[in-house]
Amino acid sequence: MKENSTEDFDSLFVKKYKGLKIFVIIFSAILITFISVYTFLSVGAVRDRMKLAQTQAEATEPVSSSLIDLMKEKAWIESRVKMASGDSIGLSIDLGEQILQLELKGVVVMSTKIREYSASGFFKRMDGNVYFSMFGTPLTIQKFESSIEKNPFKVVIAPKNEAEAEAASAKKDSIRDENVFWTVKFDREFELNIQGIDSISESQSKYRLGKGFEFKRDLKNIYNSFKHIVQFRKPTYTPEILIAIPENEAKAILRALPRNASVTIRI
Amino acid sequence: MIRSLLIYIAVLFVGILFFISMILFVIPALQESTLVLPSLSKAQADAEGAETQKVKLEKEITTLQTKLDKYTPSNAYIIINTTDNHFYLYKGKNLIREGICSTGKNERLVQSDGEKEFVFHTPLGVHRVLRKQPNPVWAKPDWAFIEDGLPIPPRGHPSRFESGTLGAYKLELGDGYMIHGTIYKRFMGLNVTHGCVRMGDEDLEIVYKTMEVGSKVYIY
Repeated sequence: MKENSTEDFDSLFVKKYKGLKIFVIIFSAILITFISVYTFLSVGAVRDRMKLAQTQAEATEPVSSSLIDLMKEKAWIESRVKMASGDSIGLSIDLGEQILQLELKGVVVMSTKIREYSASGFFKRMDGNVYFSMFGTPLTIQKFESSIEKNPFKVVIAPKNEAEAEAASAKKDSIRDENVFWTVKFDREFELNIQGIDSISESQSKYRLGKGFEFKRDLKNIYNSFKHIVQFRKPTYTPEILIAIPENEAKAILRALPRNASVTIRI
Repeated sequence: MIRSLLIYIAVLFVGILFFISMILFVIPALQESTLVLPSLSKAQADAEGAETQKVKLEKEITTLQTKLDKYTPSNAYIIINTTDNHFYLYKGKNLIREGICSTGKNERLVQSDGEKEFVFHTPLGVHRVLRKQPNPVWAKPDWAFIEDGLPIPPRGHPSRFESGTLGAYKLELGDGYMIHGTIYKRFMGLNVTHGCVRMGDEDLEIVYKTMEVGSKVYIY
């Protein structure tokens, strides 16, 4: 009797979990198929973006490899001269020298050492022609997003009498508690991300853990890619440059730059 | 049997982890990896006359650099950071003095009846010193009374004029904005002003003596 009940239990168990086995197999197959399609389409999107950049640069004259450094130097200074002719505050970024500068009418009003940076593989594969079509002239900011308010403005109702006025007191703008991260999209279809950090370890933990703004931004990008992929369409690939600078300076630049500011970059 | 169940659950769990790590880390890394990307670098042979082109480029770079350098004033100028409330006084490329200051509080003051509105913000951009004056007397504008909850006196009324509030010197930038001193020393380094730039006594004296009428003031 005892043996029979064990056998019944086993056969019931086998039947019940046979379904689970099939589910696991089908589920794994779906995941692997989805991942394969996702990988194929995502890498394809990068290749398409590179081809597009090359097509856009085809009209320019071929660049001689021995002159490329001089031409980059010329394009860098020329772009800054162009920025200086305008009235707006502009940004110049030299990734080689790891310097980020805020310029106003040709005068460097702020200069900061870049603590850390990374650039998409796209930029590492550029040839001279693609480089000059991307960075040969100042870029224009098209879209601004930030983890903190760009231009914070308080609205205060005037006190009705002296007693109410005395109650008001000045408070210091907090810097330490904020996660300063801002991102801009340029007219040449790539993004610049500026992260405010005060130490390298802080930058790594913020970026890897994807706190707050960055995490939401990454999730949004993944969601957009998913939307494309379930429709078997290539997702949009936007190359990006991520720069980490001291937090105060990241905040000062964010506040100072106009929404459609000019930016010059040298890689 | 329990062992099989645990294996299925483990497979499911590993599968989900694999999926998430692929989406979050592996595929983005693959997208950025130069290994899977086609090269755009076409090795281009030097065109004829590369040496001539090189000389021409070097000359152009020198000309452009000279042009860019000319934008930096050779006389005194001041740079003001309104986020950090810091100033830098330069003469040409030389930093003469730096220190803390106070700038606009970025506030919109609305009169309780909604009749008038005042914006307290330090204007960004390039300005010039239009006028310099020692021992300035502050002619209080309407907002100074509204902010203190006081009735607005008529123009020219003695209660509108205050000595000492602006410190020992003022440098006018136009539209009512100034660089001046302050009696509210404890607020130095904070965004508390109505748009003017406040400085400490010693800093202000040096700025006043170094800057001339026409000197540039860069505010960001």
